[in-house]
Amino acid sequence: MAAPLIVVSRLEKTYLTRAGSRIRALADVTLEVADGEFVTVVGPSGCGKTTLLRILGGLLPASSGTVELLGRRVTGPGRKVGMVFQDPVLLPWRTVLDNVMVPVIVLRLDRQLYRRRALELLALVGLTGFENRYPHELSGGMRQRVSLARALVHDPALLLMDEPFGALDAMTREAMNLELQRIWRESGKTVLFITHSIPEAVFLGDRVVVMSPRPARVVDMVTVDLPRPRDLDVMGSDSFGVYTRKIRQMLGPKGWLE
Amino acid sequence: MSVLEDADAPVERLSPLQEFCRAPGAFIRERPHVPLVPLILVVVVGAWEVIVRAGHLPDFLLPAPSAVGRALASGLSSRLYLEHFWITFSESLLGFLIAAAAGIAFGTVIAQFRLLERTLYPYLVALQTLPKIAIAPLLIVWLGFGFSSKVVIAALVAFFPVLVNVIVGLKTVDAGKLDLMRSLDASRWQTFRLVTFPNALPFVFAGLDIAIVFCVLGAIVGEFVGSQRGLGNLILQFHTSLDIAGMFAVLLLLAALGVGLHLVIQTIQRRVIFWAQADHVIGA
Repeated sequence: MAAPLIVVSRLEKTYLTRAGSRIRALADVTLEVADGEFVTVVGPSGCGKTTLLRILGGLLPASSGTVELLGRRVTGPGRKVGMVFQDPVLLPWRTVLDNVMVPVIVLRLDRQLYRRRALELLALVGLTGFENRYPHELSGGMRQRVSLARALVHDPALLLMDEPFGALDAMTREAMNLELQRIWRESGKTVLFITHSIPEAVFLGDRVVVMSPRPARVVDMVTVDLPRPRDLDVMGSDSFGVYTRKIRQMLGPKGWLE
Repeated sequence: MSVLEDADAPVERLSPLQEFCRAPGAFIRERPHVPLVPLILVVVVGAWEVIVRAGHLPDFLLPAPSAVGRALASGLSSRLYLEHFWITFSESLLGFLIAAAAGIAFGTVIAQFRLLERTLYPYLVALQTLPKIAIAPLLIVWLGFGFSSKVVIAALVAFFPVLVNVIVGLKTVDAGKLDLMRSLDASRWQTFRLVTFPNALPFVFAGLDIAIVFCVLGAIVGEFVGSQRGLGNLILQFHTSLDIAGMFAVLLLLAALGVGLHLVIQTIQRRVIFWAQADHVIGA
């Protein structure tokens, strides 16, 4: 395994609600992700997966514990991270290309140079010819591709994805999983991908981090030893079934899945 | 190769006129209201004409539409109406421009600072609930019977809908968009320029659309309270001489002014916020 790109140690997060009570969202989460690795995080809805991702992205402060990215402590948002949210969050008044350029503008990067990169990324996500369309002219799957290109445009070391295909229909979702695998292999990025779909987690991940309900703890990490590139047929294979059953058993008998 | 099975290419759009020329029967079946709208006008105006003539109503109570038409034609050809129309039009438009600029500027500043907003909020509510036209007599005293008092009344009446919509628009931002900007460590100004301000534009236009109608109202009220010229003044003159047909003619001109200004705003709106569906826009 290559050197860890991100090291999460003993991360805790406790929220204070308006009523004054404390909610513990994360409990002692320790995790390492190697450079170039695709790690999926699976757990019941509302367990605190998103909280973990937001802390990694610097959007939320941790209550205790540390996150180190490339050997540096994460204290706030930075350009080393690209985020893909549950919704594509595109700006409807900007064209597809201009949406992808948003990080370039905010981070004050060279627009000429990065415009070329944005076009390459749009080609990578299969949107050549749609550069000058507006988001409302695109389907849900296409919008999420734009948001993926936008997350990659400033060349971040780590891609954080928060259930990005959760809102898509099953068939588009499978197509997007295939696409994401291809894009990941071509871009060589490190990906941390949150989902509550066990098959999606197994299909995409080199490793699956299984989390408990709130407060979220790491229950187990399952290394998925399926050859790449994986195609959708792999989902019908015996070994795929072994992985999904194993994870389901970790979550299921305790009533964590419904 | 990528999978583009989910591409839904936009379909070719025809203008209503093109559609009508292509298949008039189908066009009317699909939109029966298109012939019904003018039909109602014809029926109402026709019935009005018949009732007035058959009932021998005196002209100073209810003039027939034909009498109103004659009054309008003679008033327009003698350029009498046009002169007054121009006055009211310029008062309204200038008032609107002042209200729009001030409303957008103040609204933007207020929305940036929570303390400012909270401090001013009770006053804004009080001023908004106050019927602004009640201040008209005061403004006539201060600014005289001329042009400027009408402009100020129009601006005052139109200012609040713009202000309120700007504030609401700037505060109604989807949290996801703000998260995106925050994840990039965007500055306040960058967030404002790239997200908050364009995001508020549908609200701003909803406010401007209300304002443009309100400022005609303001100008007319100002003219009623004290003036020498303008369509409001003309109505008062006709009132004195019991020229009811002339009054109706002026009302038609005012309706035309209001509709025209509204259409101008709508046209600009469609160009500027082409990306916003009509149902995303909230009127105040």
